[in-house]
Amino acid sequence: MSFDINTIIYLLEIIVGGLLVGVGVHFVPVGGAPAAMAQATGIGTGTVQLAAGSGLTGLLSAGLMMSVTDNIWPILATGAVGAMIMMDATMLTGSWIYAYAVGAPFASAKVNYDPITKFSQPPYVAPGTVGQGIPTVCYVSGTIGAAMGGIGGALIYYPLVQINGNPAMSAVFAVGIFMVDAVLASWNIQGTIEGFHDPKFKKWPKAFKSCLVATIILAVVAVLITPIGGV
Amino acid sequence: MTVGGGAAGAPQALDPKKIRIYGLVGSVIGIYLAWILNSVTGTNIFSFVGALAALFGVVLGANAVRRVCAYGIGTGVPSIGMLALGMGVVASLFGLNLAEQLGVGVLGVIIALVYSVVFGYVIGLIANRVMGFNIPIMEEGLFDLSGAGTMAILGWSFAISGSLAYADIVKDVFNTGFLAIIFICGGLAILHPFNANLGPDEKQDRTLVNGVMVGGMATIATGICALMTLGFAAGMLEIVVGFAVWYYFYVWYFRLAKRDASAVVGTGLLPPSAL
Amino acid sequence: MDAFGMGLVAAMGALATVAGASEDIESDIGSQSNPNSQVQLAAQVGNPHRIYNKAIAGEPPSNALWCTTAAIMAYVLIEGYHMPLLFAVAVGASLAALFNGVMATSAYLGRNASQARFNQWIYLDIIRYTTPSIMAHVWITSFCITLISTIQVYVLTPHHPFPIPVIALIWGLTVGAIGSSVGDIHYGGEREFQWRLFGQGLNTMLSGQIVRKAEAGLRNSIDNAWFCAKFGGPCTGMGFGLTVFLDNWRTTVFDPVTHAGAAIAMGLFFVIVMNLYNFYCELSARRKYGPYPGYKGDIAA
Repeated sequence: MSFDINTIIYLLEIIVGGLLVGVGVHFVPVGGAPAAMAQATGIGTGTVQLAAGSGLTGLLSAGLMMSVTDNIWPILATGAVGAMIMMDATMLTGSWIYAYAVGAPFASAKVNYDPITKFSQPPYVAPGTVGQGIPTVCYVSGTIGAAMGGIGGALIYYPLVQINGNPAMSAVFAVGIFMVDAVLASWNIQGTIEGFHDPKFKKWPKAFKSCLVATIILAVVAVLITPIGGV
Repeated sequence: MTVGGGAAGAPQALDPKKIRIYGLVGSVIGIYLAWILNSVTGTNIFSFVGALAALFGVVLGANAVRRVCAYGIGTGVPSIGMLALGMGVVASLFGLNLAEQLGVGVLGVIIALVYSVVFGYVIGLIANRVMGFNIPIMEEGLFDLSGAGTMAILGWSFAISGSLAYADIVKDVFNTGFLAIIFICGGLAILHPFNANLGPDEKQDRTLVNGVMVGGMATIATGICALMTLGFAAGMLEIVVGFAVWYYFYVWYFRLAKRDASAVVGTGLLPPSAL
Repeated sequence: MDAFGMGLVAAMGALATVAGASEDIESDIGSQSNPNSQVQLAAQVGNPHRIYNKAIAGEPPSNALWCTTAAIMAYVLIEGYHMPLLFAVAVGASLAALFNGVMATSAYLGRNASQARFNQWIYLDIIRYTTPSIMAHVWITSFCITLISTIQVYVLTPHHPFPIPVIALIWGLTVGAIGSSVGDIHYGGEREFQWRLFGQGLNTMLSGQIVRKAEAGLRNSIDNAWFCAKFGGPCTGMGFGLTVFLDNWRTTVFDPVTHAGAAIAMGLFFVIVMNLYNFYCELSARRKYGPYPGYKGDIAA
């Protein structure tokens, strides 16, 4: 157990990573179970699982990059790109189903005009539903959220490998810390959110505080775990 | 999704306090018993006792999930199980590592347990105070859950490594990646029971029996891992014990499902009232 | 960039496509994940049914379990007992299928027993003939994903530093997340409610009114596979295949040691192209379908 300036930097990196995960979850447009019946805007699954799916895909890419380089920037960037590719492929194929199987135009019920494309939304919301599909603003928001999740996962993983030099252990640790932050954030948004244009998005400071406390408690012990007897 | 017992909390025959004491004490004693048996006999054949100890933690966790999720937490049941195991991974390795660094070796289990329950309680406080959940049992529910997750991970890790030494656990459980199966199978043992029995007529005994049944499957899985880390005899014994636990509790579960269902029929059309 | 590596990445993409498709069809036969909320609701609003009700912890954790189980078995056989790779992976997938059978039946029994007051019966013949079909699809999914993980660790350069079970866990979570985000919409939005107006999502008033009768007799869950295999399954496969292929393609074509920047830029390029494609989808759907006729507000379409 050695405590020096590097330890504090590692600690900060893990905390920032956890916070990025926690805030990034708020960007992902998740409609929960209603979206699976095209009853609500967004992706038809749970927040935690989608954030985990994309963030951990980013972690896989970051782990691969980390095995060949020690430079932090390519590791973070590749983590973000891996997560964005997963999230975008998911949303794109989901859009095919909304457009070509359900046969519905994409619309958000939370805003009157899409902030990015300026398309009008209410005329395209089917009666009895709260929107459907993934409009451009949700798609862009999801891409941002995935990037934050990917950077967050890589930023948790990077210092852990620096400390204990064990990719296998650090990967499982990163998964654990990632899950805690993602679950806390998804509790904060109560299951569904459309992206950064959703009024619910304003609740993010609560998740920020919660993830800060939780990640500090986890990070302090995570940096204390040092190799013993060569492993 | 809100379901089941509603805001009044789930009806229960077994007192949660009693389950908590049996769960935590039982799993701690079980892990130490396994460790003592292994060290006294100088073999690793008794590692399966560690897996059985984890079952106590699973019952505690399944009961906690049942109590918390009966209030409806907005994100479905699976998230809370992932949270429990996420906390457990960090807590268990921290406990083992700190104990080794302080030179108190075997006390790692206790350190991990204390750290995890404190952490769980804090998360519960956060959920209620910061996010405004207002679930009265959130603190103790997460206290139980994180403790259960940690004990499940420690118990099954012991079943794979046959030792409580930090170096052995890292070599056998983390470097091989076998922690992944403990993580996910232990997580499902804690969250699957309530998820699989969700509904207004959910019964506590059926849910907990389901939890032990999935725990038996996890024991089979750790036995397969032990085939590589502990050798053929210890691994095979663990698989057999896991299979026995699984079989006994699956049959029991089937009996309880038959008891609670409105009808169990071999085949047939819909009930006459619904056609 | 070498031809062998490209071949491997192509094979991984193909395996991932198969895995994604079979994962989605598995969840549709078992009626898992989000659309299952309607199956669950059906009995509560007075519509008992003969559809499988397999609620195993949401798709991502459950698929992570199957893939991890297959991966540990394969890993033990390869590293501990020096078995051939394909044989080891096949044995692992078989174990995963058995685990799936246990979890699926216990979920069916449990969920239906917990709905006793709504007169939802447990039909043993459904367990008997639907479960093997679910298990078969799980076999395919876990076989493909374990093979992807072993390729990443043993064959593809640079070798992945994570152990096989951890990679399988992560890919399992990912394929489950994609399956429940993509393919389930086809099952929940179309197959469960075929008698409502086409061209819109499910009206909230109709919640729980799922289709319970088939062309002849009562609908069972294997019929759902027949329907969802036409579009939902392939789309899911496409989603997961794209994820695995594009993510590995860029680090295979551009060496991550010397051309890390190019690999990242390539990834960003894919992301931008997919954003534009989604915009095209939105634009064409709006143009072709038009606004809903019943809209009374004052915002122009």
